[in-house]
Amino acid sequence: MRLYEFEGIDLFRREGIPVPDYALADSPQEAREKAQGVGLPVVIKAQVLVGGRWLAGGVQTAGSLDQVEKITHRILNSPLRGFPVKQVMVAQKVETAQEFYLGVIVDEYHGTPVVILSASGGVSINKIARDRPELVVSRYVPITTGLLPTEARRMCREAGLSGKELTQVAGNLSALYSVFRKYDALFTEINPLVRTSQGTYLAIDSKMEIDDSSLYRHRDLHLSLDDRIPNPLERKGRQIGVTYVELDGDIGIIASGAGLGMATMDIISQRMRPANFLETGGAITAELLYKVMDLVLQKSGVKAVFINVYGGINPIHEGAKGVVRYMQEHGVTIPVVAKALGNRQEETWEIFEKHGVKVVTEVSTEKGIEQLARLLEGGT
Amino acid sequence: MSILLDRETRVLVQGITGKVGRVQTKWMLDYGTDIVAGVTPGKGGEVVEGIPVYDTPAEAVARQGAEASVFFVPPAAVKEAALQTIKAGVRLIVIVTEHIPVHDVMEIREYAKEQGTRIIGPTSPGVITVGEAKMGIMPANMFTPGRIGVVSRSGTLSYEISINLATGGFGQSTVVGIGADPVVFTNMPELLRLFEKDPDTDLVVIVGEVGGLQEEKAAEFIDRWMTKPVVAYITGLNAPEGKRMGHAGAIIRGDGKGTPQSKVAALREVGVDIAKYPADVVELVQRHLILP
Repeated sequence: MRLYEFEGIDLFRREGIPVPDYALADSPQEAREKAQGVGLPVVIKAQVLVGGRWLAGGVQTAGSLDQVEKITHRILNSPLRGFPVKQVMVAQKVETAQEFYLGVIVDEYHGTPVVILSASGGVSINKIARDRPELVVSRYVPITTGLLPTEARRMCREAGLSGKELTQVAGNLSALYSVFRKYDALFTEINPLVRTSQGTYLAIDSKMEIDDSSLYRHRDLHLSLDDRIPNPLERKGRQIGVTYVELDGDIGIIASGAGLGMATMDIISQRMRPANFLETGGAITAELLYKVMDLVLQKSGVKAVFINVYGGINPIHEGAKGVVRYMQEHGVTIPVVAKALGNRQEETWEIFEKHGVKVVTEVSTEKGIEQLARLLEGGT
Repeated sequence: MSILLDRETRVLVQGITGKVGRVQTKWMLDYGTDIVAGVTPGKGGEVVEGIPVYDTPAEAVARQGAEASVFFVPPAAVKEAALQTIKAGVRLIVIVTEHIPVHDVMEIREYAKEQGTRIIGPTSPGVITVGEAKMGIMPANMFTPGRIGVVSRSGTLSYEISINLATGGFGQSTVVGIGADPVVFTNMPELLRLFEKDPDTDLVVIVGEVGGLQEEKAAEFIDRWMTKPVVAYITGLNAPEGKRMGHAGAIIRGDGKGTPQSKVAALREVGVDIAKYPADVVELVQRHLILP
């Protein structure tokens, strides 16, 4: 789950990373009030889960309260890269003397945290790494040991830091690693950490993603998934426990595995257009497939549904019951074609066939899609 | 023995008293798997499908000589169970469980590496040495004994590819689902290494998908070390950027990495034939094994 900037900043503060004064506002009037508390000048920052906010005009400085209102009004009323902005952060404007990049990510292939530091911050780390790789210092960290203070200081020395600056940045690097571990982050990034012209250090932006699988142990953060998925059908999929991705075609897909779902999508795309990707996961029940049929048919213009399921961990005969019950109750007349193989396949075929679902007994998805195409062309 | 397991492997089932654990234990036994023990903490003394249940993996190893363990353990309990099982000294663990926190996976991975325990998964359909034994949830009727090794990131696609191979006259030696998470315990090149050494395997089929670097790293390995032919199918050619396609690891992040194009290009460059669609794999295998 991606965190909003203010949520990341809040976690930074909890682990002792200094952050500027800020407040949140969801209207121009509120922003005006909050700006008085924070103290002018302030920076108004759109709270959205997309990158490139600066370039898209989602971060602006205001020197007066009238300006605060005007800018907030503008930001709240124009979607940023397609995402609606519901909230802004009103933050203390900081005079920057130097910017640093601090990050902790997961190297997925090696299954290890990586700590990254650069004395040149403010732009994306990919850009720094591409243009000035000599400015980037990184370390694999054994997860059971963690980032030792001596190692953090050594990284700072390699990045060219010394004296008070080294101590300050190393301290923040260790604190950021604690944030990463404590909150099950897939990545967490301070970009930039700023040395102000007064010589203090402040984290003025956050980027962070928490592992969805770990959310059960972070309930105290009260993070809600729902408002982070802008597409209503995708949100509904999430609520019933399946992965739904809306696409722009008209052939609905229901698959019992992610790989199978993607392959089905690829094959359909050859001659038709998929309406969605849908993967049920390993917990199929009659009830779940009833809801899944409802979800797939909620998208307007779906003219056929292709079901592609394997009975490994999934009781596909139960799933079939849910599908046909939905079809009966809702008078579904568009073609529904099912390829179902594995444990209890014969039983599954029987349930489908009895209720007007065209069953594909061939073992390749390509053949199944061919049958679907023939049905749509008016054949059998 | 093909790779990883055979009919002699003494298997422990963890989470054997759960709903999924019970059903799958029966199916693994039906397939001929030598299941010697089950473990569910607090359920020691029970018997499931004729198999004695213990409270800890250490007991299962001491009493029944278990040497491999398959996990049907709930995600929040996996870390503790895995660390105990590694400590108990089994050589192979297969983790079917989905949605294990990535930080737990990294911790287990580090300890397993230190102790030299091989783990397959998480979010793996399992491992099947066809005609001998299986650890996991793969439906047995999808597989036919033969000499093709399959290594797949997707469970369902490993079934689809295997049953299509069989209709083309090609059975499988061992089929391994490496798991669909962003971090897996055993990466693809390591399994290619085992298949390369295995006298019962003539050719390896890679089933890949968008996201991560498994296929790119497999290509590097093939280039340096593989003498056996490799055929691949990569799915997700039409996956939109920035969306998780059902598997936690199946996401194109927009940094130019993990795209189906980069995977296909990397594998093609080292001479791997790429199937356009799953069933096309059969024809590519035919070219290597039948035609001169």
